[in-house]
Amino acid sequence: MAVAAHVPATHHDHIHPEPTSFIQKYIFSLDHKIIGIQYFITTFLFYCIAGLLAEVIRIQLLHPNGGFVSNETYNQVYSVHGSAMVWLVIIPMLTGGFGNFVMPLMIGARDVAFPWLNMASFWMFPVAGALLFSSFLIGAPEAGWTEYPPISLQGPPGTSLWCMAIFLVGISSTLTGINFLVTIMKMRAPGMTLTRMPLFVWAQLATAMLSMVATTALAGALLALFLERTFGVPFYDPAKGGSPLLWQHMFWFYSHPAVYIMILPAFGIVSEILPTFSKKPIFGYKAIAFSSVAIALVGFMVWAHHMFTSGMVPWLTLPFMILTFFVAVPTGVKVLAWVATLWGGRVHFTAAMLFALGLIATFTLGGITGVFLAAVPADLHEHGTYFVVAHFHYVLFGGSVFGIFAGMYYWWPKMTGKLMNEPLAITHFWATFIGFNLTFFPMHWLGLMGMPRRVPIYDPQFQSLNVLASIGSFILAASTLLFFANVYYSLTKGKKASSDPWGGRTLEWMISSPPPYYNFKKIPAVLALPYDFGEPLPYLGGELIRPNAHTKFAGEE
Amino acid sequence: MAQYVAPKKGLGQGFWPVTLLLTVLSIAWLVLLSRTNFANFLPEAAVPADQIDSLFKMLAEMGGVVFIYVMGFLIYLPIAFRARKSDAPDAIGVQLHDAPAVELGFWIVPTIMVVIISWVSVQIWYGLQQSPGNAFTVEAIGHQFFYEFRYPTLWKPVSQELHLPLNEPVTVKVTSGDVIHGFWAPEIRLKADMVPGLVNTLRFTPTRPGTYRIVCTEFCGVAHGAMVGKIVIEPQSTFKAWLASEAKTEGPAPAVNAAVGAAPAAAAGGAGSTGQGAAPANSSGGGGTTLAAAGNADAGKTLFAAHCSSCHSVGTFDEKIVGPGLGHLLNDSAHPNLVTGEKASPQAIENILHKGYSGPIGMMPSQQQNAISDADIANLTAYLVSLSK
Repeated sequence: MAVAAHVPATHHDHIHPEPTSFIQKYIFSLDHKIIGIQYFITTFLFYCIAGLLAEVIRIQLLHPNGGFVSNETYNQVYSVHGSAMVWLVIIPMLTGGFGNFVMPLMIGARDVAFPWLNMASFWMFPVAGALLFSSFLIGAPEAGWTEYPPISLQGPPGTSLWCMAIFLVGISSTLTGINFLVTIMKMRAPGMTLTRMPLFVWAQLATAMLSMVATTALAGALLALFLERTFGVPFYDPAKGGSPLLWQHMFWFYSHPAVYIMILPAFGIVSEILPTFSKKPIFGYKAIAFSSVAIALVGFMVWAHHMFTSGMVPWLTLPFMILTFFVAVPTGVKVLAWVATLWGGRVHFTAAMLFALGLIATFTLGGITGVFLAAVPADLHEHGTYFVVAHFHYVLFGGSVFGIFAGMYYWWPKMTGKLMNEPLAITHFWATFIGFNLTFFPMHWLGLMGMPRRVPIYDPQFQSLNVLASIGSFILAASTLLFFANVYYSLTKGKKASSDPWGGRTLEWMISSPPPYYNFKKIPAVLALPYDFGEPLPYLGGELIRPNAHTKFAGEE
Repeated sequence: MAQYVAPKKGLGQGFWPVTLLLTVLSIAWLVLLSRTNFANFLPEAAVPADQIDSLFKMLAEMGGVVFIYVMGFLIYLPIAFRARKSDAPDAIGVQLHDAPAVELGFWIVPTIMVVIISWVSVQIWYGLQQSPGNAFTVEAIGHQFFYEFRYPTLWKPVSQELHLPLNEPVTVKVTSGDVIHGFWAPEIRLKADMVPGLVNTLRFTPTRPGTYRIVCTEFCGVAHGAMVGKIVIEPQSTFKAWLASEAKTEGPAPAVNAAVGAAPAAAAGGAGSTGQGAAPANSSGGGGTTLAAAGNADAGKTLFAAHCSSCHSVGTFDEKIVGPGLGHLLNDSAHPNLVTGEKASPQAIENILHKGYSGPIGMMPSQQQNAISDADIANLTAYLVSLSK
């Protein structure tokens, strides 16, 4: 505790006045908390639209001959579903939403480094959403979220809107990456060394680096696709001397790191929730922090494992295969460290905790099938089938979306100052968990037995499992309504939340709920990692609201 | 000060019994797998299929054991160490930050597993690269939406059916004539993308006679879901006879004679050669006129835009998008017959809309695949007939 002494006293006292007009305060806000909430509102809206598109897919697949919508419509529906879920929901929610709202609070900052840039990043994003969804009016993209040329060159006019929308999201995501990187590197409270950062901040740091570097490759690829579609510049069309594989390399050079952009922040959320609700420090802090960075670095060297059947020099598949296998090591360390954190704890089964535990369960299965897909000879059978669909939904729904709901339940009281209804939230968890597994588990078998991806009709032998998956998806859709019901309940009738309803120890819990405009009246000094429940809080100065001796949880009354 | 609640003894109540239970479950999983023959679920029709299945089995063994232990502790630990009603209000868990030996184990165990998986995968991969010499080579070309096969001894391509002799190593060189397609033979466990401008190679030795699927696994357009071909693996003698009969039917002009499709509709189109009236109900033009008159051409125009226009223009036959232009079905002297071989008439148009088509020039989805009703077909026919006036 000797580090405490030198907190510059006057330096932090400069607080900007809060804007007074509605527009400045809530629409074109510079406040990272408002921008974070703006991201949440927009992404949840997009989540509902993209989720309904998923239900169209599942209704179509109730019958082997489809018949609910035409083939063209079906192709447009799943393409926009995938694109929207990746670029308009998961990435912006985990970085723009949670990153914006939570990260500056956790490091004891008053805002991000570049508030204007932050606002600009946000406002590109609803525009991108409008562009993408309006493509339905002129014929939405049909070739899946990957839009492989040459078929995407022939695609409907909306494919060009898709290029513009994703390009815009890419700019937004790159700028957010730069913004967060600078914020984390330069604006941490005094005393918060890198090894005293909460693990969610480590996850955001690794994600920011990924977004900043990888997205440029996608931007280049999209620009080329747009130019080829609009002006016939031959980048990808082999008939004119272009290379269709060029797109695949550029696309996956971004989109594989993007998988980690979508999962690392969710890992960070789990790493915060587990200690809080187990009432003990995270097991192996340094191992978890290091594994985030290791995953991010190795994540740049494995992109071609999406292309084992595309056509490569055969020996080149080997380094990609082996490096991909090695991603399993840091990922496995994370999972094992989480499980070890539970040992010897006092575990409280709140909704946030259940979603975090659910994430570990479903993500573990998704990670294991990832190893199946990385093995080149096995991938020759599995590539392009429903096995892949099952795998990435276990990672992106069972991982990212479970992480999103865990984080929503965890930080909701901080965002709104209100509590959710805990029994309803726990019902939401079980409905989601059951619906999710019912939807996606059968798809492993479907893929292995011969059902390809992206088909509006299929062999009748696959009908029973498809019906099961569709029933699961209806449960999943209904479970989402429980969440929105809870949001409504909380905002209208919810109990008032204290500054620290869960007994958390990171800095955001040291200030009122919702936090004041300036976050910290005085910036506190940080003396140690936050997770030592037996010790006094490791913060000095800062006029924090000290949580009272922790009693019962709000949800357990 | 907060109250510590340490396990009463050792690693906590039930830790070792649970570990034992998970070990028993893991062994049961391994025994179950060792007694499972994947070929019972999906036949292994060619040689590398067994090797690929053996790799899959190894991955399932390791993955299954990892899953059982992680899931077991993930369920057991939170329950065993749950907060209890009897706890003090500020009860906390064991304040353990790490245990270097355990943590080292967390790094070493996955690393060892990954090294083993890499070793086995590379070995099996190496086995796949060792193709038998002097293999018999077939070219497979993907089109929207059918497969075309070229044999060294046949002048003309064969559509949709890949005939292969039993026990003879074969090299299939795959490419595409338009967009990227997939060539997946689930029963052979092999797949290669058919990329325009690029030749990918598959090598295998058929070992089990029968008819198997070829499935397109890369999105290739509106009828991607219906792009299914066949592999026919047959004894040497049958294969030679088939090759000879194919050679005999070769005429100077590549007419509509190789049409053998997967869809039932194709049987009608492909069974006969040019000029055969496929549908028994086919009657004179008079009947057709009545049918077309029953439809509404304006409604048909809307339907055409929604269901047909991504593959068909309303121009001349040669103004192709994917399929031929449909603007002059009834007054095109160069094409008096439809692609099914039927003489062009409103009734023939209805037939193809009902049954679809699969043959050497492409593939057209059936009524069910297009999700259109009988009334829709009447309207579409009326519209298409009106275009020819």
